[in-house]
Amino acid sequence: MGAIFQYFKNILVGFWNLILGLSVTTKYFLSMKTNTQQYPEEKLPLPARSRSMIKLIYDGDKDQFNCVACMMCAKACPNSCIKLEGVRDAGGKRRMTTFKLDFSTCIFCGYCVEACGFDALTFVSEEYENSVYKRGSLLQDEQAMKWVRPAHLAPKPEEPAKVETSAPAAAGA
Amino acid sequence: MTGEKIIQTIAAFIHQILGAAGLSGIIFIIDPVLCAVAMFGFISLFVMFLVWMERKVSAHMQSRIGPNRVGIFGLLQTVADAVKLTIKEDVKPIHRDVIPYTIAPILAFVATFAGMVVIPFDKGIVVQDLNIGLLYIIAITSFTVIAILSAGWSSNNKFALLGGFRSAAQIVSYEVPLVLSLVPIIMTTGTLRLGGIVDYQAGHRWFIFSQQAIAFFIFITAATAEANRAPFDIPEAESELIGGFHTEYSGVKFAMFFLGEYIAVIVSSAVAVTVFLGGWLPLPFLGFLHLPGFVWFMAKLVFVIYLIMAFRWTFPRLRVDQLMDFGWKVLIPIAILNVLATGFVILLLEGGV
Amino acid sequence: MTDLLLSQIKGGNESQFGTDEYVVNLGPQHPATHGVLRLVVKMDGETVKETIPVLGYLHRSIEKICENRTYPQCITYTDRVDYVSAMSVNLAFALATERLMGLEPPPRAQWLRMVFVELQRIASHLLWMGAFAGDIGALTPFLYGLRERERILDLFEMTCGQRLTYNYIRIGGVMIDILPEFVPKCRAFLDYFEPKIAEYEELLTYNPIFLERTRGVGLISPEMGINNGVCGPSLRGSGVACDVRKQQPYLYYDQVKFTECLEPGGDCWSRYRVRMREIRESVSLVRQCLDRLEPGPIETKLPPILKAPPASEIYSRIESSRGEMGIYLVGDGTAKPYKAKFRCASFSNTYVLDQLTRGWKLADIMAVLGSLDMIVPEVDR
Repeated sequence: MGAIFQYFKNILVGFWNLILGLSVTTKYFLSMKTNTQQYPEEKLPLPARSRSMIKLIYDGDKDQFNCVACMMCAKACPNSCIKLEGVRDAGGKRRMTTFKLDFSTCIFCGYCVEACGFDALTFVSEEYENSVYKRGSLLQDEQAMKWVRPAHLAPKPEEPAKVETSAPAAAGA
Repeated sequence: MTGEKIIQTIAAFIHQILGAAGLSGIIFIIDPVLCAVAMFGFISLFVMFLVWMERKVSAHMQSRIGPNRVGIFGLLQTVADAVKLTIKEDVKPIHRDVIPYTIAPILAFVATFAGMVVIPFDKGIVVQDLNIGLLYIIAITSFTVIAILSAGWSSNNKFALLGGFRSAAQIVSYEVPLVLSLVPIIMTTGTLRLGGIVDYQAGHRWFIFSQQAIAFFIFITAATAEANRAPFDIPEAESELIGGFHTEYSGVKFAMFFLGEYIAVIVSSAVAVTVFLGGWLPLPFLGFLHLPGFVWFMAKLVFVIYLIMAFRWTFPRLRVDQLMDFGWKVLIPIAILNVLATGFVILLLEGGV
Repeated sequence: MTDLLLSQIKGGNESQFGTDEYVVNLGPQHPATHGVLRLVVKMDGETVKETIPVLGYLHRSIEKICENRTYPQCITYTDRVDYVSAMSVNLAFALATERLMGLEPPPRAQWLRMVFVELQRIASHLLWMGAFAGDIGALTPFLYGLRERERILDLFEMTCGQRLTYNYIRIGGVMIDILPEFVPKCRAFLDYFEPKIAEYEELLTYNPIFLERTRGVGLISPEMGINNGVCGPSLRGSGVACDVRKQQPYLYYDQVKFTECLEPGGDCWSRYRVRMREIRESVSLVRQCLDRLEPGPIETKLPPILKAPPASEIYSRIESSRGEMGIYLVGDGTAKPYKAKFRCASFSNTYVLDQLTRGWKLADIMAVLGSLDMIVPEVDR
């Protein structure tokens, strides 16, 4: 007798739980709310710290790149994506002559941006549509990576543009 | 303007044209043929709508938008899918058994489709209101077993054969609760004619409210299993691995199997609506709207089909042996108990059959 | 290679009579979400006789690469060891290096690390729930889990800039401080999310079909689990207390209140219940850590070049989302590790798959595989 009672009880309990499950999906169906961002029409802005695309900052006033070819970014990069050269000009200051970053091996870890002490490299979060047709065009030189910082994004004096770590070279040699 | 009047007007119009052309002799052939063609056209459109509906229903259940690029709200998505399937290469295994291989998809499609012939959409809108309507539907839809077995056998593929066997076993075992759940209805109404069952419900309450709610759920479950849909879609799901009966089919033949599955869903839902939910009768408290019965039928049909779709996207899959256990050890005893209980009630209330 | 494998299978101790068994390849290309795992399944009709996992399809020699990178540069590779819960692996390596070199991060960094690791645990378990339900056949919880996971990834993106490979937890602290709007957004997310867990449980936990597929399937007894190297929630589903956060508390886990989730059953259903309860525990943990955050520095003072002491070694373990993640580091006085070994939970959990599925049906392999929460990049590194 107990077995028969258990049999019917199992069926009823199972049936009720099936109805509960159906109620969850029906609730979502009837609410008609979707979480889809219909991409090319709706482009949501990425957060400011997004590690989207690395750009070389070009100072419009002084008409030159900020980069002094100190090689810290090249040493910091885990994949050796950065190759750059510099010369010492007449006034004894170093200036960068060529800068090549291979985006096909870049993992966007951000070490180069952090290692730079001269505010020469930055992530530009708006540029994330970087698909190319030829792999060769992923090896970008300084002209392709040139970026002038808009006035409203200039770093404020109390908040340095680079990351506040106490170790200037978070990546070693 | 009821359904009957619409049909009579159209029929009178066509008879007039044929009479004027001097062809009144063949009216008795033209009438059923035109009915069948109209049914075919309507059901094809409805299936296309259903494919879209399934994708939209599943999408909104999952908090996402379904197809919305091809046509307004993505309504032309099925057209795009159909075009894609027709232009696909028809890959055929070399050592197949030609005749069963070719016949299987056609049979799967035709067998279920032929069941639509007796479904009453409104008081007069039915191709042929056979007085063995229910029996005819159950008999005709059983042809799908032959289709599946031929598909599995003729593919010359060990895994397709296994999938075909499992699918056939599933369909055959779920035929029994399907029929058993309809038996109390037949006992109560005393007729197999679908129009008669709806007429009975016009006088009394609908069966789902009065006595046969359990039978409704048994019927829906068995119908989902008949159509090889989740949660009973082991042949389809493990087709990733072992291969269902339709592994070796591509292009239009594959499309025929899936159309057959959707039409099986439509036929089962239509039978459920007719037998349990009152067919073309309006909802009891909304009768003042004076909508044609056809609209009520379609609304109820869409509701039942939504239920079957909700089953697919909410519940996990049953393993094959659990599926058979469920059919034989749960559904059949409950259906038999239902028959016995209904018999007792009829004896008590009416003092005899 | 396949012939070698097949001869291994067939050349065993077979009976004299020709048995009608065949070998099925659950190939590396899966419709399920387990990544590139290949299972060679020897079957007799419907019943599984032996399961041989073939690993290595996602091997990227991360351990060898780490021997040629400095310690901070290795952190970027740890993201890829387990990309579903990258914060945990970041933390494991950072902790190992700090213990090797004797560094102590400041308190704010420790609390922040805890917040992010527990958020990551929630995200990883949500993905697991979706994958497990998808293997069983319910396709909807996957979308629900990913929907909530997207919100967690939004929180991560707001802080460190990436959604999957964060490179956030560094040696000596964390990369950058959280924005002021992080704490209110995080609390808002937790308030929104907590009732959703109940919803997912309503959908799955007592569903009779789900119970039939997972109850009694894949039984790991406590002795079998310990002997075969099972760890993490898979072992807690058998009632064995094995949480590293309780046994060897790291960060500030000894200062917060949380219960270790144990379930006595040992089957797939118990493991599912353990993980759902762990999601709730992690929500409470994040709340406690957010309450204890105080202003302060986020990274300790590091030498310009991080060098390990000569002839030093350490094995340091944490509780990642999958189980015990251990890092074994050997330092030789230079800035690059002499050896870095990742002991990953999924790899040791794979061993027990064969014993669990013998005599069961093919569909049960999918249930067991899903319940063990195996992530292939962790298996292969």
